[in-house]
Amino acid sequence: MIDYFALALGHGLLAIGLLRMVWRDSLDVDPAIFDLQQNERDRRKSVLAERKRRASAEAQEEGEC
Amino acid sequence: MLDLAFLAFIGFVLLLGLRRPYLWVLLYVYIDIIAPQRIGYSIITSIPVSFIAFGAAFGGWLLLDRKEGARISLRQVLMIALLVYCWWTTGNADFPVEAQTKWEWVWKALLFAIFLPFTLTTRLRLEGLALTMTLAIAMIVISTGLKTVLGGGGYENLKFFVTDNSGIYESSTLATVAIGLTPLIWWFTRFGTIFKRDWRVKLFAAALIFSCLLIPIGTEARTGLVCIAVLGVLLLRYVKQRILFVMAAGALGVVALPFLPQSYYDRMATLAQPGGDESASTRVAVWGWTLDYVAEKPFGGGFDAFRGNSFTYELPVSEEVGNTTSVEFRDVVDEGRAYHSAIFELLGEQGWPGLMIWLWLQGLGVWQMERVSRRWKDRTEENEAWIAPLAGALQIASVIYIVGAMFQGIGYQPVMLMIIGLQIGLYSYCNRFESTQRKIATAMRKSAGNMRNQENVVPDAVTA
Repeated sequence: MIDYFALALGHGLLAIGLLRMVWRDSLDVDPAIFDLQQNERDRRKSVLAERKRRASAEAQEEGEC
Repeated sequence: MLDLAFLAFIGFVLLLGLRRPYLWVLLYVYIDIIAPQRIGYSIITSIPVSFIAFGAAFGGWLLLDRKEGARISLRQVLMIALLVYCWWTTGNADFPVEAQTKWEWVWKALLFAIFLPFTLTTRLRLEGLALTMTLAIAMIVISTGLKTVLGGGGYENLKFFVTDNSGIYESSTLATVAIGLTPLIWWFTRFGTIFKRDWRVKLFAAALIFSCLLIPIGTEARTGLVCIAVLGVLLLRYVKQRILFVMAAGALGVVALPFLPQSYYDRMATLAQPGGDESASTRVAVWGWTLDYVAEKPFGGGFDAFRGNSFTYELPVSEEVGNTTSVEFRDVVDEGRAYHSAIFELLGEQGWPGLMIWLWLQGLGVWQMERVSRRWKDRTEENEAWIAPLAGALQIASVIYIVGAMFQGIGYQPVMLMIIGLQIGLYSYCNRFESTQRKIATAMRKSAGNMRNQENVVPDAVTA
């Protein structure tokens, strides 16, 4: 009886735990590292955009001269 | 009925794994610890559930997993070296048949431990593995703890789910593993994300830790008592009020004394008088024999090389006649006695090279967890605060295992190899986290430098 109780409790909790993990995307993609990488990608994009903006501004100035 | 329940659970996890293949890795962990095919008695005994789970775990990882951040570590290389070395000694073993029998489970345990860290690429995966191991061991611990409380304990009397005294179902091994896992159990109450950290989780964790502490009492495993003492000493590092902790532990011990059976006192008394106990006396004799053995065969004798030992030693035997107790020393002849120590198990079976690899593997784990603990302590961000306490818990598990392993032949214990896998996974995760942070910091410094240069160039150009 004690064995059945322990097995039922353990399996029940394990089943709930596994079921909860299935629905979380963070099981396959770590949010902390992903956020860091995403921020870096965003930052690079904005730096590139800023460079492009500056380059076009300089080109415009040269054209006006 | 029990078999059907096990098969239903295994089928359920196999189905869940179709969405997240990592769950098949956890299924193998569960099967390897609990061994449902050995608990059941009809249909499940004829189905190779362990093989199916391993195939699913490895195949799922190979074909379906992202494998982002998976990389090989030094400790995995050490395990590969140990695996290859064990294979070589098995081929040259003193007792080829017995060595082959042990090799058949050791290579699987080592291979899985080598593979496991490749799958541990996210925090949730690390937590999932820790949870699966904890709950699988909890099933055995809860059952054992309840039987102890209800009076069903005693040395070699306590019945586990499996009664062949092997693997985790050996009393001293279970005591060592259970005591070693207690800090990890408490970690879930502070940082677990799968189960909400509320009063229910705290209550379950407290009850489970109490059950773990009951294992050495229920099984009367002397090693377990040593492990509890080591746990107490190690926890002193983490508690804020140390004097209060020591006093509370002492008070708890004193309160518990009247509830302990006489057989427990008798068994623990042999700790202080090892010469009066055959089990303890043979250990010393076997250890001496092993040292002599490797002096002749420094590369080891393969698995189960101890079967070649034979020695005579004196054991005190007391006899009571009336009011007089006389102690007589009698010669006892022993043959084929097991090592009763992982250190000597490795030394005798794998020689000095094998022992060196094993010690390096274990020592590196303690050092790496110390490093992670120090580097990540005092972090308060939710996505970082969990790391140092987990490293601390895994370090304690390692130290307790090493201490317990000094008195038991558990050098290749699968559960402890999984703990090593978890440690490697955590260490790699932290390295990946830090390397991403470093890359970003370097890139930001570079781009800030470029911006400054451009700003400096423009005024110069204007001046020119």
